[in-house]
Amino acid sequence: MNTDTRAFVNFHEVQKSYDGSSLVVKSLSLAISKGEFLTMLGPSGSGKTTSLMMLAGFERPTGGKITVAGRDLTNLPPHRRDIGMVFQNYALFPHMTIEENVAFPLAARKLPKPEIATRVKGALDRIRMGAFAHRRPAQLSGGQQQRVALARALVFEPSLVLMDEPLGALDKQLREHMQMEIKHLHEELGLTVVYVTHDQDEALAMSDRVAVFNNGIIEQVGPARAIYESPETAFVSSFVGENNHLSGVVSSVAGDLCTVTIGEVNIVCLAVGSLKSGDQAVVSLRPERVSLVHDSDVYANSVKAFAKEVVYFGDHLRLSCQLEDGQTVTMKQPNRGGILQTSVGQNVLLGWQATDARALPFEGVPGNG
Amino acid sequence: MYVSAIEKAWSILFRITCWAILVFLILPIFVIVPLSFNVEPYFTFTRGMLHFQSEAFSTRWYEAFVSDAGWMLAVSNSFVVGIFSTLLATALGTLAALGLNKPLPMRSMIVSLLLAPMIVPIIVLSAGTYFVFAKVGLVDSYLGLVLAHATLGLPFVVVTVLASLSNFDQGLVRAGLISGAHPTMVFRRITLPLIAPGVLSGAALAFVTSFDEAVITLFLSPSPGYYTVPRKMWSGLREQISPTILAVATIWIALSLVLMILMGVLRRQSAKRSAKPVRLREAPAS
Amino acid sequence: MADVAAAVYAAPENTARQVARSRRIEMRKGLLLLAPALLFLCFTFLLPLGYIVRLSVYDPTVHDGLPRTVEALQSWSGSGAPDEQTFLALANDLIDARNAATIGAIANRLNVEAAGLRSAFTSAARRLSQKPPDDHYSEWFQKSDPVWGEQATWQAINQLRSAISANYYLAAVDLRRSASGIELAPEENRIHTTLFARTFLVAFSVTALCIILGYPVAYLIATSSKLVGSIMIVLVLLPFWTSLLVRTTGWIVLLQSQGVLNDLFVYLGIISDENRVRMIYNLAGTLIAMTHILLPFFILPLYSVMVSIPPLYMRAAQSLGAHRFYAFWRVYFPNTLSGVGSGALLAFILAVGYYITPALVGGQSGQMISNIIAFHVQSSLNWGLAAALGMILLSVVLILYAVYHRYSGANYLVN
Repeated sequence: MNTDTRAFVNFHEVQKSYDGSSLVVKSLSLAISKGEFLTMLGPSGSGKTTSLMMLAGFERPTGGKITVAGRDLTNLPPHRRDIGMVFQNYALFPHMTIEENVAFPLAARKLPKPEIATRVKGALDRIRMGAFAHRRPAQLSGGQQQRVALARALVFEPSLVLMDEPLGALDKQLREHMQMEIKHLHEELGLTVVYVTHDQDEALAMSDRVAVFNNGIIEQVGPARAIYESPETAFVSSFVGENNHLSGVVSSVAGDLCTVTIGEVNIVCLAVGSLKSGDQAVVSLRPERVSLVHDSDVYANSVKAFAKEVVYFGDHLRLSCQLEDGQTVTMKQPNRGGILQTSVGQNVLLGWQATDARALPFEGVPGNG
Repeated sequence: MYVSAIEKAWSILFRITCWAILVFLILPIFVIVPLSFNVEPYFTFTRGMLHFQSEAFSTRWYEAFVSDAGWMLAVSNSFVVGIFSTLLATALGTLAALGLNKPLPMRSMIVSLLLAPMIVPIIVLSAGTYFVFAKVGLVDSYLGLVLAHATLGLPFVVVTVLASLSNFDQGLVRAGLISGAHPTMVFRRITLPLIAPGVLSGAALAFVTSFDEAVITLFLSPSPGYYTVPRKMWSGLREQISPTILAVATIWIALSLVLMILMGVLRRQSAKRSAKPVRLREAPAS
Repeated sequence: MADVAAAVYAAPENTARQVARSRRIEMRKGLLLLAPALLFLCFTFLLPLGYIVRLSVYDPTVHDGLPRTVEALQSWSGSGAPDEQTFLALANDLIDARNAATIGAIANRLNVEAAGLRSAFTSAARRLSQKPPDDHYSEWFQKSDPVWGEQATWQAINQLRSAISANYYLAAVDLRRSASGIELAPEENRIHTTLFARTFLVAFSVTALCIILGYPVAYLIATSSKLVGSIMIVLVLLPFWTSLLVRTTGWIVLLQSQGVLNDLFVYLGIISDENRVRMIYNLAGTLIAMTHILLPFFILPLYSVMVSIPPLYMRAAQSLGAHRFYAFWRVYFPNTLSGVGSGALLAFILAVGYYITPALVGGQSGQMISNIIAFHVQSSLNWGLAAALGMILLSVVLILYAVYHRYSGANYLVN
């Protein structure tokens, strides 16, 4: 973990407990660079929102410290942290107009009225809500409220912006649109963004780096690509993207690769983590890396199975194939025109590269992704 | 829908009965108003009134009311005590409700204490207050009346402000803080305006409670200089009923009507300020 | 990192302290905000109630004023007159009392227990101060007033021997101590139990009337169109918001012998001019006026319960073949029972404590417990008795409220 003191935002062994006995955030160390878009990804209860709240100042760490630009925030109340924040339910002040909402942070900083007016106008224009300046939040749609919340968080030009699942309440199309808009704002304004979400598609699409939270610790942090393609723990591989998980036992290890016995079949995988012969392992395999083969020499791994379930998805066929020992492998057969050949009950041969199968230490993760 | 003749008859009978009961409810109030304009000092309709002869009506009792120093003093006392006790009850009650919003030990006991003046039989509280106030010289005093009335009004303020706070989205406080506003500014510009309808309706209830209050006032105001309107009406009704009372009563009814409307308006305001964002249907490109 | 995840994490020791500390800070803020209101209520509410409790059990006049007598009476048999020693003790006490000017209070207090004792005490005290006998006090006393030989006199003194006692409570329920223990006061003196009985009876009748009259009205309002329903609600709300005294004035005007209703009856020929109906300044007056006042308290909460019942239920029942009344009785009515129950309980609790209405329109037969409490405070000045009666009333109300609270949850106060 990089705990570089030159980092912009630094969590240094931060802990949080609510009841004094169990830890919600166990020992968080994370360095965020200036201008970075970092997403905290994880299921509910994983500690990501709590960590964000500690950064904002609404929760106090019970251990460790948080610094921003070298400054220790521990005793700094939220209203002095100069951080912008967008909340899950937008938290727009219902008794104020849009204009007054966006002007609020500037009024709090006691800026002169004319300057406030100019900046607010600029902010509203940037989100294309200038015409709605005199409306109340209740008169706007969810997407519009969200943009106003963004504008309010950015109007005082903070260097750090926090976002707590801001797009959760929007429908799919609007959400994707807003994701792009936020990303553009991030690039345009050179902001440092810490973003919390449980939606891994969102995390992968928007972030420079993703920190995957589970049970109060970060299981893995890195660029989106690394998280998706090279998950380092079984949790990360099951949480991010769709994944097959096959249980087996390591029979031999040779350098980066290892052989795992699944049922009666031996497959060659990438060895991740410290695995020894005889260890229980979970092999993580992305469905899109599995192909139907006719010739068992094409891939390092070819395994017999039969198609238990075939579902038509338009652009691909989704096959649930059952291996000889009963475990299931899901794969996607792309629709390239021609005749789709697989039908239910058909015997198939599945193949994949050794490097596409990652053998991870067994951690009690449930069967299939 | 099939309705038999019997059912229809029952339905009509039912409606007539209900309206009769509603008439029962409104009758005493209704009957006072025309009688207050009776030119004769009787508490009943004269022949002239029933025939709508204009000579049978007069505003003499209103004039008597306005020109009576005793009544005017009572009215002024009622307002003075009403306003000050309302201010006191509202200030104490709002602070108390805000305090109740935090984690506390013995919470239900504290709430019970704050609401107790509403529950305890008024005669018991009146007697006790009289005994204590007599010892400290607060009988026949404005301060005594204000304190006693504020005690009765306090629970109403606590209840309405608590209700307002329960509808209040604490996330707004956080949004205000992170926007850079000092906690006092957040309270002043965010919390207070949003709970204002609750505070105001509590204040209105406290005022009505004080204005209508007759029992404690009976014990605490033995001398006419400190009579309130209810106290003076009480004397009038017990000792010598003068039609001036009808004029006072009519004016009071009008005030009650105004207050009733005010409360209705406040309730609607409160609903508007309820900080639950209304989600309209999402528009994809805007 | 995987092994970090695998480790079992427990919070370090000072975490619990930190968490407790931040909780304490929040709690302190809360208590600070509550402090003004709570302190205020201590003075204007708890202190008066505490005083009432004290008054109801603290009866020190005889205990402090006739100490020797009280002590001497410990050896009294309980029947007939006591011994010479006791009379001597009494004589000394009376002289002291006269000198300390407490004789009046003592005499008054004892007079409450047994009428006529006042003069006996004051005259005995006066004569003792002027010309005390040397001996034979027993004779001296009984010669000056035969009441000194009566058992009742000494019982009266003995009953008040302790400063803290339940005497006022006993009196409040028309019980008294006698040689043979606790017994009921004679028939003609049972004012308090009569009043308690009447109070509960009135409260019960008024509540019943509220249910009978209020339920149909609430139902009609809940099932009427918006416009008609609003008009009806206004007709219920306006009395609710109008002052008690104004409404009572209205009833006086209506129900008087020379009032509007009687005039109407005479005009319609229902009664003759000489036989006007007595509808006020009696129990009838109390019942009518109290029903009128409590009816909105019953209707309004019941209405809100009814309005929340989806009309779908009734329609479903009828589609299943239920006759309209049957559907009402088996489907709608049970759903409204909670509203009826809590409304009725509230009306009952309010009715029990009423003062103004019975005082103004109740006459003699319509008096309730609150009225006699006021009487004892203002007229008979028997504050201890007033306090005991008040405490009993308060206890009854508190118990009923506890039931009400359990039955209907905490939101009963939000109108």
